[in-house]
Amino acid sequence: MLVFKLLPVGLAFGILQVALRLADDADLVRRLKAHEPKAMNDLYDRYGRLTYSLIFRIVRNASTAEDLVQETFLRVWNRVQSFDGERGALGAWMLTVARNRAIDHLRSIDGRMEAGAMDLDQLERPGLFAKLDSTALAIDRARRLKSAFEKLTPTQRQVIELAYYEGMSQTEMAERLKQPLGTVKTWTRSALKVLRDELAEVAIA
Amino acid sequence: MHDLPGARMTCQELQEMFELYALGVLERDEKAEIDAHLARGCANCHQALADALALNAGVLSFAPAVAPPRRLKRRLLTSVGVHYPGWGWVWAIGAVCLLLVAAWLGVEERRRSFELADARRALLDSNSERDRLTQALQFLSDPQTVPASFGKGQTAPPRGYVFLHPQMGVLLIASNLPAAGPGKTYEMWVIPKGGTPRPAGLFQSAGMRALYILNGPVDVSMIGTVAVTLEPAAGSTTPTMPILIAAPVGS
Repeated sequence: MLVFKLLPVGLAFGILQVALRLADDADLVRRLKAHEPKAMNDLYDRYGRLTYSLIFRIVRNASTAEDLVQETFLRVWNRVQSFDGERGALGAWMLTVARNRAIDHLRSIDGRMEAGAMDLDQLERPGLFAKLDSTALAIDRARRLKSAFEKLTPTQRQVIELAYYEGMSQTEMAERLKQPLGTVKTWTRSALKVLRDELAEVAIA
Repeated sequence: MHDLPGARMTCQELQEMFELYALGVLERDEKAEIDAHLARGCANCHQALADALALNAGVLSFAPAVAPPRRLKRRLLTSVGVHYPGWGWVWAIGAVCLLLVAAWLGVEERRRSFELADARRALLDSNSERDRLTQALQFLSDPQTVPASFGKGQTAPPRGYVFLHPQMGVLLIASNLPAAGPGKTYEMWVIPKGGTPRPAGLFQSAGMRALYILNGPVDVSMIGTVAVTLEPAAGSTTPTMPILIAAPVGS
């Protein structure tokens, strides 16, 4: 069937996009720090589609997604002075900031800010990304991780999506799924272990 | 393993929590434990946090690709005071060309003006068609897409496929579908299981083929059938019989 013939093409295209983004992030960070006009243009060309896709996946509204993409890029533009371009992973930072902006938005409309949700600001400080491998989104890692994700059970995949794309704590997941907290914790722990082990194998290889 | 004075949990026990910590979804007491380890400069925990941030970024990159609107780039660059040339020079050249063409049209009169209008319309149609095909390709290549077919085995088609995607919507591809005719249009209906048909947009057939996309999230599990009827040009709120296309979903 046509759908299944096209799937490898789509995956290859996605991986190619990620690989192309890796090129020369350090130089881009240097130019962003100098506030070179073309640097913001290049940053958008490199990460605009990726961040828009992620934010749209979370908020599911095109207009809101546009606002949050703009907020994401402005935040990176204003905080890039603290980012270590030689050692840090720009793509991982961009995705983290984008995801946090979208989750903040979800929490604000759900009234979850008062429910003890963590302040996401402190989890996207540029300094946190200084120890990241700049190949955090490298072609082989992305492919292996995606493959591992697709091998998760439906329940494992569901809790991962609730945490990553809806910003839910395990207590909130247990309420949503009407499952005991211990069960949700087991699903989450085992799912993350599968993904973690896959990355560890990549690192060893 | 690094046990820290005053900490209730060991580094080893915390290892499984760093991804959730980095996502900001950890419970307060567990977060406080990790904060304490990090504040004390625990090298193992700092490395675990870096690994978790990398893993999280990898997972976040799985989001299905969606093209942002073109205006977003201009809006963003303007907001940081960057002049965005974009394709302005193309339009400037186009404007100059149009002036020249207009002068030439003064001689050639109406015949040329019709030709130019046709060419511009064709360009717009071409761009629109390309965007639709790109979107259709996204439907076909996404693993969440649910296919359904219609018209198989019929001697007098239309035949084709319907593809349903929980975020992108519904894609209909039909062949052997004659033109709707003057004052008429095709209307797609989404029929929930055990429910009444809901209007899902109007479209036309060209060259016996049609490709129509209903944008926006749909609950695929609740949809029983996607159908098409022939309606007046303004569309209808309830389908006019007969049903020309009926694609059962999940059968």
